[in-house]
Amino acid sequence: MNPRSFLSLFLAASLVACGPLVKPPTREFIELKGTPYDRGLQHGTQLRSKIRSFYTTLLTNSLFPYLSREQPDIASFLPEYSAERYQNGNFAYELMLDSAKNIERSLGRATREELQGIADGSGLSYDQILVLNTFVDTVLAVRGVALAIRLARAPLIKSVEFVGAASDGVDNDSDGMIDEAGEGLTEPYIPELYGMGVELAPTTSFKLVLTEVDGVDPATVRLYLGDRLYTQDSPELVMTELSATELQVVLTPAEPLPAGVTTTLVIGAGDKKLITVPPPTRASFMRDEEIAFTTRGAGLSPRDVRRVPLTDGRTRPPPIAIGVRGSMTRTGKSFIAHHFSLLDANSAHKHTVAIRHVPETGPSFVTIGWAGIVYGFSGMSDRGVGYACDPSDTLDNSVVGSVLDQVVDISKAKLIASGMPIGFLGRRMLEQGTDAASARDVIANAERAYGWTCVTADRNGGMEAIEVDSDIFNDGMKGNFAFSLSDVDALGRRWAGTSDDDVVLGSNYVKNVPDIATLTVAGQRIVPQRQWSGFFYRSRRAVDGVKGRLEAQKGTLDAEALQAIISDPQFVDQSDSMNAVVLDFDALEVRAAMGQVPATNAPFEVTEVRP
Amino acid sequence: MKRALSLLVVLFAASSLASETQVLPKNTWTFDFAWWRSSIDKQWSGDRKALPLIEENRRYEPGGGLQGILRAQPRADFDFLIAQAMYGITDRLTGVLYVPIVLRQQVTTNLSWEPGDYQSQLGRKYSEDDFWAWAGSLGQPRVPAVWNGGVKLGDMIVGARYLLPEFEWMSANHFRWAATLQVAIPTGTNFDPEEAVSVGTNLWELHAAGDVEAHLSADKQFFVDEFGVNRLNIGADVYYAFFRPREYTAGRGLKNPLLNNIAPYVGDKYIVDGGDWIAGTVSVDFSPFLGPTRASIVSGGDEKKAHALPPMLTLTLSYTRVQTFQSDWQSQSALWDYDREKFWQPGEKNIVRGTATVSLLRVGVPVQIYARYQSGDLIPGRYSRPANIFSVGARLVAKFW
Repeated sequence: MNPRSFLSLFLAASLVACGPLVKPPTREFIELKGTPYDRGLQHGTQLRSKIRSFYTTLLTNSLFPYLSREQPDIASFLPEYSAERYQNGNFAYELMLDSAKNIERSLGRATREELQGIADGSGLSYDQILVLNTFVDTVLAVRGVALAIRLARAPLIKSVEFVGAASDGVDNDSDGMIDEAGEGLTEPYIPELYGMGVELAPTTSFKLVLTEVDGVDPATVRLYLGDRLYTQDSPELVMTELSATELQVVLTPAEPLPAGVTTTLVIGAGDKKLITVPPPTRASFMRDEEIAFTTRGAGLSPRDVRRVPLTDGRTRPPPIAIGVRGSMTRTGKSFIAHHFSLLDANSAHKHTVAIRHVPETGPSFVTIGWAGIVYGFSGMSDRGVGYACDPSDTLDNSVVGSVLDQVVDISKAKLIASGMPIGFLGRRMLEQGTDAASARDVIANAERAYGWTCVTADRNGGMEAIEVDSDIFNDGMKGNFAFSLSDVDALGRRWAGTSDDDVVLGSNYVKNVPDIATLTVAGQRIVPQRQWSGFFYRSRRAVDGVKGRLEAQKGTLDAEALQAIISDPQFVDQSDSMNAVVLDFDALEVRAAMGQVPATNAPFEVTEVRP
Repeated sequence: MKRALSLLVVLFAASSLASETQVLPKNTWTFDFAWWRSSIDKQWSGDRKALPLIEENRRYEPGGGLQGILRAQPRADFDFLIAQAMYGITDRLTGVLYVPIVLRQQVTTNLSWEPGDYQSQLGRKYSEDDFWAWAGSLGQPRVPAVWNGGVKLGDMIVGARYLLPEFEWMSANHFRWAATLQVAIPTGTNFDPEEAVSVGTNLWELHAAGDVEAHLSADKQFFVDEFGVNRLNIGADVYYAFFRPREYTAGRGLKNPLLNNIAPYVGDKYIVDGGDWIAGTVSVDFSPFLGPTRASIVSGGDEKKAHALPPMLTLTLSYTRVQTFQSDWQSQSALWDYDREKFWQPGEKNIVRGTATVSLLRVGVPVQIYARYQSGDLIPGRYSRPANIFSVGARLVAKFW
């Protein structure tokens, strides 16, 4: 070889070596055809690497260690969890596997075969794939139990009083009476979905009584009103220990509140007993309670009060689902928009996938989910039927039910989920649903593992909503609280919309209220969602914010407009946003933003439902 | 001994300053012992910005959002003992053995913490102490502020340099050229995949030289006196460095479960195929001071020959530009691979060295001592990790038969 040829070859080799580095996609699209097993095998094979890393980074490295911290507390209540099988770091996996195996009995043969296919394709075990596909509902239920137990140790608000409301010559609760006895006083305090008081004087003071068996620590009391923070050092805040267990807090803002506005008083406090296990050391803190009210001139009844955004940096938006059709949209066609946020853990966004299933029989359908998981929390079939679901915290769930079933011998009781995770029901809606109502009935006719709110729609304008729980006390409704867009409550207001052509669902119930009766089981208080769920207030705020946007854009909404709404930072959880989806029923298109955190940092990309 | 030392005149008269083309006379030895202090605290981005050596670590609590961002500005310091032996196989072919011994490794992690989302169960955001307490309850020990490693052997290198035949015009113009081939012996170590802080001592991890290097070098001497000693030398060297693929064991989080459990998706083993280099060096040697000269055992008692020995003081300045190719991680996870490869894209290193050499040969002592400072960050590079190195050493010259 002459020197010039050698040099040319050398440079060519160098250029090949210098090819640009291409980032692997954090969102994938796969199309699966054939039998359930075939589709699972294709899924497992094509996404083998992603499935393995998703399982490891989300479950093994994040969720399992996190849940294992709860083992000492749970084992003290349920001694079965002291058994050898749950030791040596196996607690969380075995807990998840117990539930997964129980849930498996509710899954059809086709689903089990699909999961087996994924296991065979990915190289993970069937049990691992089963856990990966069932952990969401199980974890939500177990976490709900743990959170409710934790909050039971934290201060509670015993009463709230708008000082002076009983003598201000105004009807402050829209009950048709002025300055009746007790007007402005709420005792016992129960969190409100809407406003707690209206037409209050701008100079109103606020008197609260907080109670906790270990005492309420005044140093932890924190009130936030009108963009101002009040703590123990604030002269506007006067605190008096009424007893060893009760603390009275009176807030008298130095400046009057603006007239004719809706505002929120945020209340937080911790107790005097420090918890050291599991670390870090901290007091038991109550959930931030948010009391919405209006000042004189707003002209609203409590039911019509919409919560305003909070800017104190302590809150994140929840998942939201929006259904619009007819008069709300530019073309009169139907859309569902969904921003799902729950758990990213620096992992989920790297493993997103749009899956188009082309089964041997039945409709094709698209789900927006994650590698190794056979479903999404939104999707659409080529019949033009689609859905979106959000978790809705409830202690009326299958895990609590399992404990109640075993309460006779608590020494052997375990936390075991049962019924169907909502994702599998979503798949079933796409496979079996012929319209919005039949899709809704798929959920209504199934046993659910946890609480959810869902909107279903079809391309013919059908749109339905449903709130579900596990109905562990046989409440007579079978845990189903369905409503059409035009249905109204006792006060004549729509349950969750601004017109007959829209619905906005968050992560709280509006019809299933209360979702469970207050009672005490084995020393633990069971209370309704609105008294403990960390999603409750932020869901109320987000839903009210979306309603305002829908009203402002009525008649002009289309896919792009909905994408813009669910991309608005007001509705985007910057840490745990997982995907944002718009279902265009007329075009049979699924538009999804995912693969980044938050999901809406990525562009919306279209997946055709039809192959 | 007298015979051996007298031959040094031949050696140094022929190649007194630049090392680019230096070879030893047949049967001659040099032994070079140096102490190096090497420090590294940054890597270059693609746009020549200094980045920490470790990417920030965003920590999340399931359902609780962002706990915070753990950042490290680690600084790694190494002390090396470098032992080098050269042997003149023929008058034109010299063999070399290079033995790097890591005497000390110290990594200062310089951790910092940016609080994340408000945590309602704590009533506050996580502080760094809160985070480590939390992590501790998950079995993850706190990463030490300072980590110290012990004595380890690096990759040894064997090589050979051949002084190429000169054309007539070369000799007439004090020009010479040489080819060098060097090959590493894999005596270094990989980093420990289970430790939160660990450094390896192989050539890839030190990024100090290739596993195989082929050099072509040239020197041009100026101001050559009647004894063959020049006052100025300009040298050049171009080389290609090849890195062999290396196999690493993936961590299972046995000691650091939150940080190092990657084997379940990366695979038990993975390969790092380090990007090769094309590099070039230009150097200038200047001798401002010849020094006193006397007949001695080194010159065989001949004062004239003593005048042919190297100047007492030589100053050397060199610049090396290393063009690096893309490095390739090969595991079962393309995403994991990418997260490493993105910091090892095609880039460059810019190395500036200054050396002062004091030669005692002219006064009858067969020793040269030198001090050198090498800066890797004086001129920013791209996708590389600049090390700054200070070294001092002594070179003994001998011929035993």
